[in-house]
Amino acid sequence: MRDRPRRYAAPERWAASPGGALGRRAGPPLPEAPGSRRAGTAADAGPRPAAGTARRLPGYVAGYLFVAPAILYLVLTAVYPVATVVAMGLQDVTAGRWHFVGAAHYAAVLRDPIFWNAVWNTSIFTAASVVLQLAVGLGFALLLHETWFHRGVRNTMRGALILPWVFSTAAAALMWSLLYDPYGLFNYLAVGVLHWPQPIAWLGDARLALGAIIVVNTWKSYPFYMVALLGALQNILPELYDAAKVDGAGPWQRFVAVTLPQLRTVLVAISTVDLITTFGHVDLVNMLTQGGPGRATETVAFYVYRTALLDGNLTRGAATSTIMLVLLVLGTQAYLRALARRGEPSW
Amino acid sequence: MVTASSRGRARALGHHVWLVGLTSVAAAVILVPVAWMVSASVRPIREVLTYPPVLVPKTVSGEYMARILHDPTYQRFFANSIVLSLGALVLSLTLGALAGYGFSRFRLPGGQAMLLGILSVLMLPRVTLIVPYFRLAHVVGLYDTLPGLIVANTAFLLPIATWLIKGYLDSIPQELDEAAMVDGCTRVQSLRKVVAPLAVPGLVGVAAFIFIGAWNEYLLAVVLTETPRSQTLTVGLASFFGQYVRDWNGIMALSTLASVPLVAIFVFLQRWVVQGMSAGAVK
Repeated sequence: MRDRPRRYAAPERWAASPGGALGRRAGPPLPEAPGSRRAGTAADAGPRPAAGTARRLPGYVAGYLFVAPAILYLVLTAVYPVATVVAMGLQDVTAGRWHFVGAAHYAAVLRDPIFWNAVWNTSIFTAASVVLQLAVGLGFALLLHETWFHRGVRNTMRGALILPWVFSTAAAALMWSLLYDPYGLFNYLAVGVLHWPQPIAWLGDARLALGAIIVVNTWKSYPFYMVALLGALQNILPELYDAAKVDGAGPWQRFVAVTLPQLRTVLVAISTVDLITTFGHVDLVNMLTQGGPGRATETVAFYVYRTALLDGNLTRGAATSTIMLVLLVLGTQAYLRALARRGEPSW
Repeated sequence: MVTASSRGRARALGHHVWLVGLTSVAAAVILVPVAWMVSASVRPIREVLTYPPVLVPKTVSGEYMARILHDPTYQRFFANSIVLSLGALVLSLTLGALAGYGFSRFRLPGGQAMLLGILSVLMLPRVTLIVPYFRLAHVVGLYDTLPGLIVANTAFLLPIATWLIKGYLDSIPQELDEAAMVDGCTRVQSLRKVVAPLAVPGLVGVAAFIFIGAWNEYLLAVVLTETPRSQTLTVGLASFFGQYVRDWNGIMALSTLASVPLVAIFVFLQRWVVQGMSAGAVK
């Protein structure tokens, strides 16, 4: 395991560096002062310790040259397409010609009950996936964090438990459809062992299909939580547990009073990332059920895919993409605000 | 004293047995789908899809795998996946390493804002970009081509590469490159002779991470391709779901073969991949 990132204290000489004498260098460095590029001589951009981050070498003009290709690439392949998606949603295509139709597509999507059904399905899919992945990931992280008599055995177990993350979603979908088959393992357990009257259509029953997809998604994605939480557990100072023990706290109390609060930051961060990823997830639905049976597993992400590519309505799809992005931003903010502790600014 | 310590040892042993037992059972349950896939790739499907499933194989045969490996369409899928993954790897790693170095070693006005911008691209759901990508790919003539897929994939892999590499470089003491430059190295020399060698383990982890991501990518591939000329393994695998008569043996053989490179990468580079995963999560 790697150590935590080391912090380096600033040597004395920096206090007297030419950059330190400039007033604007004392404050937060973020706002780009007008003409700062012109003032970017070597002396001005002299190294200075940034609070909590690594120190910088002089000459930021050269720095821009290093980051420019990546920034330019992302502007062309991500920022520009996002801008066009908003614009495309305001247009329509008739006989191969694009013309402006205003908010018609946006209104149509928002009036579509199938869209709101998809929002509902997405909420269940996302909430259940996040909670299950967190529970499974945390459980395994705690097991792996225990004192193991042999490091190699522990690392092998860790590797085995990460393995689902390595497989492609396509491979995962195939593995699970083999298990969900009428003659597959699960139906053997249901019919052969538990004497259920007939094989269960795990993916074909409107009441079960979304749950069946959530199970596959959880299986595929919990390792992300497990690995991140294992790293966070290893960063908790043992003194905290010793202090709790001295105060007479049992294992459960130590978990609630020490472990969980110490994991809080990481939990908030990874569950937010996971929330966003799960919200936009389309692969499993597309492969396993195509939104069916009926519309029982149609999520917003699949609604976009179906409208734009299966139904061929690109502009309606673009409008839905934009609405989806807005929902995502609002949902993420609401989530973070709900988790923000009182008196703390929400992220 | 003796009884107390032996009781303590017995309790520690009990703890270990319990721990190994519980984790082994959990790992076995987690790996059932993988076991079933591998099993169905080497034995007749009627032994797998039956009540009760035959656990000890009666017949093991490599014919399903051989059939897949000799089929020119599947060979094409493999070749395409390799080209796509390596292309996306080279592009993301090159641009990401440059940007990561820039963000780590320079105080850039607006740098924080750029990093946050990259982070939001990282968070962007792919599905919201399929419409403009589909259209742009047609406009610029990259629809149904591997270069088109490489360009699109890199848009989603470059942000994570940049963040991971920046994080890794931040953990390499800057005194080292400073010392080299004080001793008369130019910046490029200090980068080549000091920073780059130290960054190799980090870059290996990021490379593995990107390769796995590109190899497993499905949505962009299914949107931006339509013929086996440029389709990848994931599209080939997923096309199985559209079949009425399912050739389970063939598809499980393909699925197993498609997973072999990733499992190999993971087994050999576990430490670095894990580092990348946890760093990507926390940062």
